Amino acid sequence: MDISRNWLAQYVAIDCDIPTLCDKLTMAGIEVEAVESAGTVPTGVVVGRILERRPHPDSDHMSVCRVDIGAGEPLQIVCGAPNCDAGCVVPVATIGTVFHTPEGDFKIKKSKLRGVESMGMMCSEKELGLSDNHEGLMILDSSLKLGTPVESLFPGDTRIEIEVTPNRPDWLSMWGVARDVSCLLDSPAKLPEITVPECHIPAPGLVTVEAPDLCRRYIGRVIRNVKVGPSPKWLRERLESIGLRSINNVVDVTNFVLMELGQPLHAFDLDKLEGGRVVARRARSGERITTLDGKTLSLEPRHLVIADAVRPMALAGVMGGEFSGVTDETTDVLLESAVFLPSNIRSTSRELGSSSDSSYRYERGVDYDMASVASDRAVQLILETAGGELASEKVDVNSGRPAEKVIPCRFDRIRALIGTAVENGRIVDIFRKLHLTVDDVTEKGCVVTAPLFRLDLEREADLAEEVARINGLDSVPAIPVTGKMCGSIRDDSYLRLQTLRDRVISLGLYECMHYSMVNINSALADRRFVKEDLIELSNPLSLELAVLRPGLLGEMLGTLERNISRRNLNLRLFEIGKVFCRAPEKFPEERYELCIALSGLRQPERFSAELKQEYDFYDLKGVLESLFELANVKRYKFTPVEDARFRRGRAAEVIIEGRKAGAFGELAADLSAGWRTTHPVFVAQLDVDVILAAEHGCGYYVPFSLFPATSRDVAFLAPESLTHAEIVDFLRRAKLPDLESVQLFDVFVDDKLRQEHRKSMAYQLTFRNVERTLTDAEVNSRFEKLRARLAAELKVELR
Amino acid sequence: MNTIIEKINQALAEVEAKAAAVVDAAAVEQIRIDYLGRNGLFPALSKEMGGVTPEERRETGRAFNAGRSRIQELIDAALARLASGDGAKGEAIDLTLPGRRWKTGHKHPITILADECVAIFRRMGFIVAEGPEIEDIFHNFDALNTPQDHPSRDPQDTFYFADGRILRTQTSPVQIRVMESHEPPVRIVAPGRVFRRDTPDATHGMNFHQIEGLYIDKGVSLADLKSVLQAFAIEMYGPRVKIRLRPHFFPFTEPSVEYDFSCIMCGGKGCPVCKHSGWIEIAGAGMVDPAVLKNVGYDPEIWSGYAFGMGIERLAMLRYRIPDLRLLYENDVRFLEQF
Repeated sequence: MDISRNWLAQYVAIDCDIPTLCDKLTMAGIEVEAVESAGTVPTGVVVGRILERRPHPDSDHMSVCRVDIGAGEPLQIVCGAPNCDAGCVVPVATIGTVFHTPEGDFKIKKSKLRGVESMGMMCSEKELGLSDNHEGLMILDSSLKLGTPVESLFPGDTRIEIEVTPNRPDWLSMWGVARDVSCLLDSPAKLPEITVPECHIPAPGLVTVEAPDLCRRYIGRVIRNVKVGPSPKWLRERLESIGLRSINNVVDVTNFVLMELGQPLHAFDLDKLEGGRVVARRARSGERITTLDGKTLSLEPRHLVIADAVRPMALAGVMGGEFSGVTDETTDVLLESAVFLPSNIRSTSRELGSSSDSSYRYERGVDYDMASVASDRAVQLILETAGGELASEKVDVNSGRPAEKVIPCRFDRIRALIGTAVENGRIVDIFRKLHLTVDDVTEKGCVVTAPLFRLDLEREADLAEEVARINGLDSVPAIPVTGKMCGSIRDDSYLRLQTLRDRVISLGLYECMHYSMVNINSALADRRFVKEDLIELSNPLSLELAVLRPGLLGEMLGTLERNISRRNLNLRLFEIGKVFCRAPEKFPEERYELCIALSGLRQPERFSAELKQEYDFYDLKGVLESLFELANVKRYKFTPVEDARFRRGRAAEVIIEGRKAGAFGELAADLSAGWRTTHPVFVAQLDVDVILAAEHGCGYYVPFSLFPATSRDVAFLAPESLTHAEIVDFLRRAKLPDLESVQLFDVFVDDKLRQEHRKSMAYQLTFRNVERTLTDAEVNSRFEKLRARLAAELKVELR
Repeated sequence: MNTIIEKINQALAEVEAKAAAVVDAAAVEQIRIDYLGRNGLFPALSKEMGGVTPEERRETGRAFNAGRSRIQELIDAALARLASGDGAKGEAIDLTLPGRRWKTGHKHPITILADECVAIFRRMGFIVAEGPEIEDIFHNFDALNTPQDHPSRDPQDTFYFADGRILRTQTSPVQIRVMESHEPPVRIVAPGRVFRRDTPDATHGMNFHQIEGLYIDKGVSLADLKSVLQAFAIEMYGPRVKIRLRPHFFPFTEPSVEYDFSCIMCGGKGCPVCKHSGWIEIAGAGMVDPAVLKNVGYDPEIWSGYAFGMGIERLAMLRYRIPDLRLLYENDVRFLEQF
């Protein structure tokens, strides 16, 4: 909401400058969002009369003028404006005047313009910050006394934009803000005197409230013989000072009172009301109304309307009807000041997409008592500005004044909550300055009655906030941080995830982050899922982003493709994030997944042969093995799998402690179709819970031997189908004493071997004893036995 | 001078030259074999010693011993020289060629800030709690004292599912879940992903990250909240940063405040980052509303506490001066590798 400093100053004396005022407002919870000063004419600009105008000897468009500013010799001023004619009375900035512009300060100095001396500057409205008019000099009233400071003719104003929190609808008016400013500046707030002529003309049937649940109070009055026309200057200026447009005197008064007191008002043209009366009732199903903004709305009984004897004339509290408002022809006015149910106004406004300054206030809640004051104020101002006479009694149909909240307040409790030593007297003082009623003050506490404009005050905690706010949050002391240990780090659910992520990063991968909402194609790129597994949003932002990701693959593919299209070809990425699924047999609703992607060159910073190395299947397998090593995951294996995400024969399932942990492999060709890269892409997707469940921490220390080791190499031709794991298993199962390690050091296949479906493999076996040095003879005998068993049992041809 | 001494002198000259030129240990070994080895020169000369005249024997013997020692010295010196790295063979090193880089990983900036916040609050005795991202209305709104017709519940602002549940709009439901399942005192922080129905732009996303704190105990006051936020600010931005609390409104706290840090760019003097105010709005906080305590079965007459929250994207964007939130979700590696 916008407030005007000058307008505010009508109700409370403001004896501080704008920055101080804004700071106090912000620190009291009325957050100042923007400040705009307009019409601030600098000191030094005075009224002057142009005595003479001569053309500039050296310029086509400039003139040389002599200007009388009421004191001393007339000044010679060079001027470029077209209208600097002799006789005009204009603003003159004298030597030394400083203009404050957004570009910086600008001082008027004695100067020469194309060789002619100039002793000041005559100004346009724009130069004085009074309007955007820069077509020529501002022409002032010729009856003004020469030398009068122009700033006194155009006192400046400042528009302050404030953010009003939803709990404080009472701040949505000048008077409401003035009440708090009064407390902040310790200066009394006073409403202008409101006087209304007495009128007891009965008006039976003028107002009927058929829906008292939606309309708590309706005050209606008739004013006859008004002269609708332009508003007086003061009224126009007030409205313009906060960015409102003047319409006519009657409508302007209703808007003025709305802004002054926060009570929405509506003026109907009485002649346009069938039966000359209003009914606050629920709309009939299908009933239609055309509102002021030209929209035709179809209504239902959940909407409240103000109708005449026949048709709806206004959407209650939201907007007037197009045909019942005050126009230049209007002579008789029915003035409405009402209280409606906030939630109903809010839902109507939302549903019908129609809102106004009135609905904004009604949906937050207006002051029951103010409805009457505002009605009087509007009558006063209409009579004052549009003439006419009050022609009815004050018809006030209501379902009773709501009870005021009575809140017991314990001073110790207030102090304990805000952690600040505020004295009892100060607490009471704050309440009173905020226009709250305080009774039964004792050493221990008091009883506070909240006025009806403070609907937010219900409990002691609400009172504590008032004390904290007005006493100042700056005075809350800074004390040492204290706090009990309320749990063990073992309960810390983040720690294990954080550790896992740090481990993945330590392997050299870049962490990515994607949105949780994805389009259905991205979701189904993870081919483990079908459409029925996806969790759909009822109200997605767009149909493109309508489901929650069931896996991290889809968006990771997007990131890979985006990077590749930007020629970032060497990628080693991962993400850990929540994924969602509707099919409990796949996984229960929400879980964490780890997705890793590799593609491109292994050593792009190197050259020659090294530069040509690309990431391959074994790089990704190695990443997983290293991760498991870091995480102390021991019992895992990789088994071949057919999976539509991966190329056939280039994929593996990961089994950890007998549980399926996920899969990895080379991406299926159609998932990367069209990508501008020649490098294969490798992806892994793992269930984080399975990894975390298998982290058992480090085992016990295992002693190692300090005696020398002896190694023997064995090479053989093996059938193509014999895997490395089978050979290692066989060697392990042979249980050779002192066999410390088995190291594969060569796998070789040439054309001849390929035809024979064989491969050449070579292993180094290392023997070592914990207590002594092994002799050659011992090692040789074990090794020879093993060679014999290899040949016999694994059907390999020793070399 | 006899022929033996001549041979010794000649051998010494040869070895001096060879030893100076050797580039590997094998060549040194060859020298040893050739001169001192079993079939080398010196054992051969030793056999010739028998033919030396008695007058010359003493002088020859001395030359023989001196020569053998000298050669051993030369061999030792050559080995020492090789061991110190001199004379290595192979191509010369071009120090300007690129090294073989070890793989370095990169943490996402959002994670960096989340981890940092978590670390700071852990030091102050908070432990981390988490909750589901698909949340029910009770935990996300009702229990947090959000009025039935509060705009934040509107499908305009919140993502709904067909079963009436939602994507959580804040990390605050974690507070409720923790208080439901724990007796006070409670001291937790909850980092996590939250969702708002905002069209992505430079400062908004459909999802973003928050970290939320909650402390419930006997006698907790606004001063405790201020001290924790002040300590957090100092840990995050250094000893000179100040904090400021401003009154505000949230349904789940009373009193409610927003808190600002003095601008980390200009130190509070005013600059474009703080829009010349000297302060940067960080987030919201307050004393937990008695209604919230009642909703989880805590007696507000006995227990009080504070809650605070902040947006992690905002902290990251401030820290690294990232101008557009969307960069955080685009995952261009040229972005990721900067952190």
